[in-house]
Amino acid sequence: MATEFVTAIKTTEIPADSVKAIDVRGTRIAVANVGGAYYAFDDECTHEQCSLAEEGELAGTTLTCTCHGSEFDVRTGKVLAPPATVPVKVYPVRVVGDALQIEV
Amino acid sequence: MAPRYVIVGASLAGATAAITLREEGADGTVTLIGAEKELPYERPPLSKAYLRGDVPFDKALVRPAAFYTEHGIETRFGTRATRIDLSDRFVELEDHRRVPFDALLIATGGRNRRVSIPGGDLDGIYGLRTVQDADRIRNEMAAGRRVVIVGMGFIGSEVAASLRQKGLNVVAIDPSKTPLFRVLGEAVGRTIADLHRAQGVRTIFEDTVAAFEGTKRVTHVVTKGGLRLECDFVVVGIGIEPAVELLEGSDIHVDNGIVVDEYCQTNVRGVYAAGDVANHYHPIFNRRIRVEHWQNAIKQGAAAARNMLGKRGAYDDVHWFWSDQYDANLQYAGFHTKWEQLVVRGALDSGSYLACYVNDGRIDAAVGLNRAKDLRRVMPLIKSRRVVDLEQLGDEAVDLRSLHASP
Repeated sequence: MATEFVTAIKTTEIPADSVKAIDVRGTRIAVANVGGAYYAFDDECTHEQCSLAEEGELAGTTLTCTCHGSEFDVRTGKVLAPPATVPVKVYPVRVVGDALQIEV
Repeated sequence: MAPRYVIVGASLAGATAAITLREEGADGTVTLIGAEKELPYERPPLSKAYLRGDVPFDKALVRPAAFYTEHGIETRFGTRATRIDLSDRFVELEDHRRVPFDALLIATGGRNRRVSIPGGDLDGIYGLRTVQDADRIRNEMAAGRRVVIVGMGFIGSEVAASLRQKGLNVVAIDPSKTPLFRVLGEAVGRTIADLHRAQGVRTIFEDTVAAFEGTKRVTHVVTKGGLRLECDFVVVGIGIEPAVELLEGSDIHVDNGIVVDEYCQTNVRGVYAAGDVANHYHPIFNRRIRVEHWQNAIKQGAAAARNMLGKRGAYDDVHWFWSDQYDANLQYAGFHTKWEQLVVRGALDSGSYLACYVNDGRIDAAVGLNRAKDLRRVMPLIKSRRVVDLEQLGDEAVDLRSLHASP
């Protein structure tokens, strides 16, 4: 299926160094604001389905799912620490004015 | 000659060490020997998702089979090591083969304590340590069947929860006042008892099993307190003993497991231990600790490997583990045996709290029920050994991260 950029949220609604989850066309996507750079990825932890926006602790570009300690790189979705073994899916983002658009 | 690295125990600690040796550039041979025939696997799912049938066994593997060949890790699974010769430096296997080593890691883990009470050898009484144990319990599981859980430590509590979730009738017995009493104490333990009772578990505390009854198979559990409980099967979870028989008669120091320093090394140069079997000196707590948890197996296994490679580094991670029961997420970090004060964020009866075990104004350990973020944020405070403002610690309006920096 073809993807397109969809306006998901205003950048002003995501405070610096925090993560917020939003529904974009039926998919729950988390967006991290790392010092003004935005990264979008599936909200569901690949280990045991905790919400990364709710349970995640962001330090720089590393997001720790505090449920069981898995760590992900929000830029790539790569697993940095177990117990998760499967990367979290990431989505391209762009900022248009104050709109954050996510490609889904 | 390139060094020969040998690991006895294809456990999570042993497998992690083998992986780390390769990742950190070991140029010699790496041999991983294990008594279990399976590829190395993680045990946490055995009492939870795997037991309930929610995930296949493959999900619990530390690495797929191909990984070991691709990374030049020689494996001897399904082969028990029977002897270590420290003067000629080799491990002898049950098939009498000898595997010479320059550096050796022992990661043999533990084995379940068994009950020595009448009827203890009847059919239908299970422990849980290996995937075969989990499969035996799974074969007994069907909604409506009656199980008695003996021992409400972490394994007993998790199995009680998983079986209840599958619709079995669960009775749980423990000699203490609450589940997890020895580690967490009465006030916190009571909240775990409430959790199980709310889910329909019948709990029997301050009573112990006197006998199992049945002709061939267990049909009743009789307690010292005079109860006679009808059941279809029994699961016993009363702790483990470190698996150290390999070292009998050797010069390696054994005392509640294999005694190692903060570099994971035994009193014999070039011989290391990690995981459940290792009673390790912990520099943060300034004492020896033996820990039977997932994170320790991984972190200590990796630390041992680095020290085997000569990259000397103390293992000083704060111990941490989780125990999911029903929909509740229980986590513990640190180490404590006693405490002067229990400082609680949130209310113990609210279903979400962080309880800190405090001595001399320092947090030795903390347990969180559905408080994952706070638990994560308290870990640096445990590691720093900082004296903490207890009023702020107990104040939910205070972000624990604000206590990390020096005042």
